[in-house]
Amino acid sequence: MKSRFLLIPAYALVMSAPVQATVYLSVEQAQALMFPGATFTPAFVTLSSDQMKAIEQASDVNVLSPNLKAWRVSSGGWFIADQVVGKHEFIPFALAIDANGTVKSVEILEYRETYGDQVRNPAWRAQFTGKTHDAPLKLNDDIKNLSGATLSSRHITDGVKRLLTTHALVLAHQHD
Amino acid sequence: MLSCLPINTIERARPLLGTTVTIRVQAADAALAHDAISAAFADIARVHTLMSFHEPDSDLTRLHSAPVGARVIVDAQTAHVLRAALALSALSDGVFDVTVAAQLVAWDLLPPPPGAIWPTPGAGWRDIHIDDDNGVRLGQPLWVDLGGIAKGYAVDCAIDRLRAHGIEHACVNAGGDLRTLGEGPHIIAIDTGETAPSHRPLLELGEAAVATSSGRAHVTDDHRASPHVHGLTRSSIGRHDCVTVVAPQCMHADALTKLVMARGAASVDLLEHFGAAAYCQDAHGNWSALGQSSLGAAA
Repeated sequence: MKSRFLLIPAYALVMSAPVQATVYLSVEQAQALMFPGATFTPAFVTLSSDQMKAIEQASDVNVLSPNLKAWRVSSGGWFIADQVVGKHEFIPFALAIDANGTVKSVEILEYRETYGDQVRNPAWRAQFTGKTHDAPLKLNDDIKNLSGATLSSRHITDGVKRLLTTHALVLAHQHD
Repeated sequence: MLSCLPINTIERARPLLGTTVTIRVQAADAALAHDAISAAFADIARVHTLMSFHEPDSDLTRLHSAPVGARVIVDAQTAHVLRAALALSALSDGVFDVTVAAQLVAWDLLPPPPGAIWPTPGAGWRDIHIDDDNGVRLGQPLWVDLGGIAKGYAVDCAIDRLRAHGIEHACVNAGGDLRTLGEGPHIIAIDTGETAPSHRPLLELGEAAVATSSGRAHVTDDHRASPHVHGLTRSSIGRHDCVTVVAPQCMHADALTKLVMARGAASVDLLEHFGAAAYCQDAHGNWSALGQSSLGAAA
């Protein structure tokens, strides 16, 4: 097992990179992966203030937007594209709910990590290419891996809880 | 020989194991890559369900709710991780101990498990008995928290699954505990939790696992509290340190970060035992290397 440890001086790494998002999946890709072969009928909902209050009370999670992007799935169940507020940024995610109203799967659609994105940014990386004193890093691969203190997924699990409540209180009572 | 097919990089992320797990795969066939990623996520979700400290149906919750001394059959995977944890406890004379959860609950860093009997003070890893048929008995009331080892195990399972699906180049990252597939070289940036670092640490790896632990992000007004606990003294460790371990298996890398935090240079034998190396940054920002590799600072 080979490994090489390098300390790159921070002055060689001026932090000028704008925050960039890593896009994992589009809404359409997430739909195809989470409900293979199904078709999707948009059933977008604007929640009333009473509904928002009821969802907040039942889930103990704040409802930030009255707009709910939900699709009815031909094979049964619902697909919802929503977002939560992370530490600094919005995190878009998709929730698949099966016909029984339970979570089928969750996929994060985009993610923004400040430090990780600085590392990913080509302009950021170009600044230290060849600047190390010993053998320079072979930067033929992007630095896409970050090892560090665990980031909590609490925001997303709270978002899932809020959408399950929204499903139970609003979507499950919708009729064609 | 170089393939003529274009190589797709496919990356997906799911909230699992209390963190965000990302899986990145490079493959010519995008559909095959997505199938492999979905299967790997399913394996991680299974570990999450079996070994969660809080899920009402987890093996650990069943163990914590059972009468003291009762034999609880756990899943073979849970038994495997418990055996690995107990082996690490034996090798470290109890510095690594999966029963320190009681201390974390006392510090309000962890909610108490649902419906569990409160642990007996002084209960520890020697009170966990596991037989050949995956039966587990607790000699005293205690709480097992596999948080310091199961995340790494889940990453290992995901890598095995990707490999079984024919994937040759990938990285699975569970909130900073990661493992690579393929010779790379893979470049890993280490997030030390420093606010204004003078240097940025990078690792260049072939196929290997990396885990980083730091108590820095958790430093609060409560000077006793830290997410990392010394198994023998039950006091907090690593409140101002950052430890990165490189090992063949992520389960070992994950667990060894805590041991290096607790024992420092005395953990060299353990690192060698698992073919691992550690990179440690102290409270003053100074780096040192332990184990297989030597420190190659660029500045």
